[in-house]
Parts: sequence; structure tokens; C-alpha cells
Amino acid sequence: MNAIEKPAEFYDRPLDGEAASPGMMTAIGQWTIYQLQGLIIFISIAGAAFWQSCRLLTWRRTVRAEFLNQCHQIGTRALPFIVLTALIIGLGVVFETLYWLRIFGQSEFAGSLLVIVLVREIAPLLVALIVIGRSVSVFMIELGIMQADGQIRMLDAQGIDPFIYILVPRVMAASVCMFSLTIVFTVVTLATGFVAGNALSATNLTVYDFVFEILTAMGPADFAAIPLTTLPVGYVTGLVGCTTGLSFAGITTDVHHLLPAGIMKAVIATLLISVVVTILI
Amino acid sequence: MIKGIEERRVILRFEDVALMADPSSRSKSVSVPLRLLGGELALIRVERQQQGTVLGDTCAGLEIPLKGEVSFLGKKWSQLPPDVANALRGRIGRVFARGNWLGHLSLLDNLLLPQLHHTRRPLAELRDEAAKLAEKFDLPGVPLGYSKDSLPADLQRAACVRAFLGQPMLILLEESSEGCFKEMMPNLINSIRDARNRGAAIMWLTSDKFIWRDPSIPATRRYRLAGRQLMEVSR
Repeated sequence: MNAIEKPAEFYDRPLDGEAASPGMMTAIGQWTIYQLQGLIIFISIAGAAFWQSCRLLTWRRTVRAEFLNQCHQIGTRALPFIVLTALIIGLGVVFETLYWLRIFGQSEFAGSLLVIVLVREIAPLLVALIVIGRSVSVFMIELGIMQADGQIRMLDAQGIDPFIYILVPRVMAASVCMFSLTIVFTVVTLATGFVAGNALSATNLTVYDFVFEILTAMGPADFAAIPLTTLPVGYVTGLVGCTTGLSFAGITTDVHHLLPAGIMKAVIATLLISVVVTILI
Repeated sequence: MIKGIEERRVILRFEDVALMADPSSRSKSVSVPLRLLGGELALIRVERQQQGTVLGDTCAGLEIPLKGEVSFLGKKWSQLPPDVANALRGRIGRVFARGNWLGHLSLLDNLLLPQLHHTRRPLAELRDEAAKLAEKFDLPGVPLGYSKDSLPADLQRAACVRAFLGQPMLILLEESSEGCFKEMMPNLINSIRDARNRGAAIMWLTSDKFIWRDPSIPATRRYRLAGRQLMEVSR
């Protein structure tokens, strides 16, 4: 029998019938494909959510009410915690900055240093971590329970698209609140640091001088960096929370298993967006 | 008064439909010959609650049949764009066997949610209609609390209020395994009669053989999902 009559045989199983164990390269390849597929799906959902949020038909009264409710949950109810954290950071970072710059006679750099460190980097990151811990984790648990309990199916059966009623308002609220909370955080931090610095004689700047220093140190890029960081971070972390919860396929008591991977994804997304914006602007 | 057959509109039609009635058991497909006219009440006995859910989902166009087409109000679910399909589902009132309530909304918000979403009717008008229906189902008023704080019997009555609110064209009563409609049978039958008189069709899915055999239920057709077919049972 020649080679043409007998085609080559390829075995993916050993001859004894046992399944062949995949090699390390195969495992890495499969993992990479799986992650890439996940990323493509996530980007598609992000695009669809953005498209839906731009449609007027999406914003029916029920969706508007849900958006306001989520703004209250993510934004208003987080305010005390954000303000408290801002007070602590204001005392720690701003006061220390003003104090040490004065010691070294470099007070004129206070504005630019605070803008670079606090306004552009620390404030968005800290607020993002607070929102992830306080609200995005709640999305995962709440939506996971809704999925396991049949509530998502119930919405679908009533003609209420869960994507529009559940996902879009949460993601948009997370985005808007992340921006608003960052502004509140930044203002409270700077004010606390300045008041503490003046009270403890760490600086001799007047209110006007301090505000002027900060504002003149901020270029257009710095003004743009705040919304360009916080809005996408809120959007993406909100989306991570919602998709993690909605993709749950277990029983109600196992919902907490969603948290470690979900929070990790949200934190990584936050850091990536923060780095990309810092590099680009 | 219920209209004559020739005048009545076809509300729901299963055309040569076969579906997987119990996906969890990987059982064979079930043939479902079914047609519901306005004013009809079909009482269907299923073996398991899961089968009732699948059948209800198929009626609402959520479950795609293995073969055949399901049309509601003359429109085939498979040919409708998502927005139109969702709007059409707004014409279906349903009591679900499980997962009836969104935990983060009050019961009143839950009751009004489908109507607020699909219509532009004023809130006050919807509340009034819900209050009247609540009275019909022996509730002291529209429920204002949350589902976690309410009695199961009250929740079932509230679920019926939602199913009948807004004069839907098809009402799907999906009964849980506990046979939860027993306690409010007279109220439910009165509401069903009113809905039939205005031309709506009702599909009552139960796994309780006593409910299915109950002669006080004025069913126009009685079916039984047994083996590989939904069979009409003459009485």
C-alpha cells in the first residue's frame, strides 16, 4: 500500500484510549484565546451599552428612575465616606506637602506638585477604589442573586430588556458618580490640607494665593485629565460589575464567589485606564 | 359577553411546534399543537413546574422552539426585531412560578413597572387601576412594602394584580408546585371572566391535578403535557 492510498494518521489520543494531556504551550494558547474572546465580548458589550445610552428611546421613565436611584446609591450615599477619606488624605498629603515645601523654601512648587500628585493621580484612583469596594461589588452580588433567582428572566418575560433597565443605568450612574465624587474628593482634600496647614502654621499662603497657585498650575491637559480618567473608569468598572453579576450561572448561596475575580478585574481596568490617560495627556 | 368563534381573534398560535419541555432532564422534544382565541381559557397540566416555565417562555417568545413558529397577535416571534418583541411582551400579563419580584423595588413599584415601561399612562391612573384590582383580589389596598416583608399569600395576590393590570391580551398563570392559587380561586375566576369578556386569552399552567380537574374553573380547553405531546383532553 503506497502513501496515496493510506493517508497520514494523526493521533490526539494515545493508542490505549486515554486522553492525551495537553502540553504547556497548548494550555497557554487556550488560555490566551479564552481571554481574548472574553475581551472581545466585553468590548462589544461596552459598545452596545454606549450605543443604547445614546438612544432617546432607552431613557424611558423606568430607566430614568433606575438611573437616579443608582446615582443616589453610588453617589449620595457614598458622600460621607468620600468626605471622611478626603479629610484624612488632606491632612496627610496636602498638609505634609505644604509643610515640607516651606521647610525647604520651595513653597512656589506647592501648586504644581499637588496638581500632579493629588488631582491627576491620587484622587481618581482612590475614588475608583472606594466605588469598586462600595458599589461595583454590590452590582456583582445584587445582579448575581437576580440572575439565580429568576428575576432577570422575569424582566425579560415582561418585555423589559435587562440590558436597558439594569445594565445601562448602573453603568452610566457609575460613570457620572465617579466624576462627581472625584471633584468632591479633590476639593475637600485641598481645603482640608490648606486649613490644617494654616492652623498649624505650615504655610503662610492666603486662600486666594492657594487657589491661584493650584489653578495656575493646572494646564488644559490637567483639566481634561479628570473627566478623561474618571468617566471611563466609572463606565468600565460599572460594566465589569454588571457583566460579572449577570453572567452568574449558579445558585444564590454561591454568589459571593463572584467577588474576588470581579473586583480584581475592576481594579486592573482602573489602573490600566489611569496609566493610559497619564501617558496620553 | 364572549364573542362567537368566527369573530374572535387568534391571540396565540403554535404552528407545528416542537420544544424541549424540560431542558434539565435532556428529555426528547415535545410536540405542542396549540391555538388560543380571544376569550379562551386553556388549562394545561404539566408534570413539573419547569415544563410550565418553558411553555410560558415559549408563548412569550423567549424560548426558541426546536421546530415550528409561535405567533402572538398574528406576529411571529422569530421575525420580530428586539424592540418590537419587547413591546409585544408588554401585552402579556404573567404570574411567574418563581422570581416574581425585584428585591430593590417596593411591591407597588414592581406592580407598576411593566405598565410604566411600556405605556405613557399617568402614574395616578395606574395606581387607581392597581388599587381596584387589589381590592378584587382581597388585598386591603395596593401593597406598599417590600417582597421580603410580605406574606406568601399576599405576594401571590399581588402577582395576580400585576398580571391583570393594563388589560393584557394574553395572561399566563404559571403555578408553583405548592398550588398557590387555591386560596383565592373565586377572586381569580372572576378576574379571568372579566378578562375573557374583553377578548383576552388565558393560559393556566399547573402541575396540580386537583386544580386541573376542578370543575369550577371555566376552562374552554384542557390539555395535558404527557409523553411527547401536549394532548387536548375532552371532558
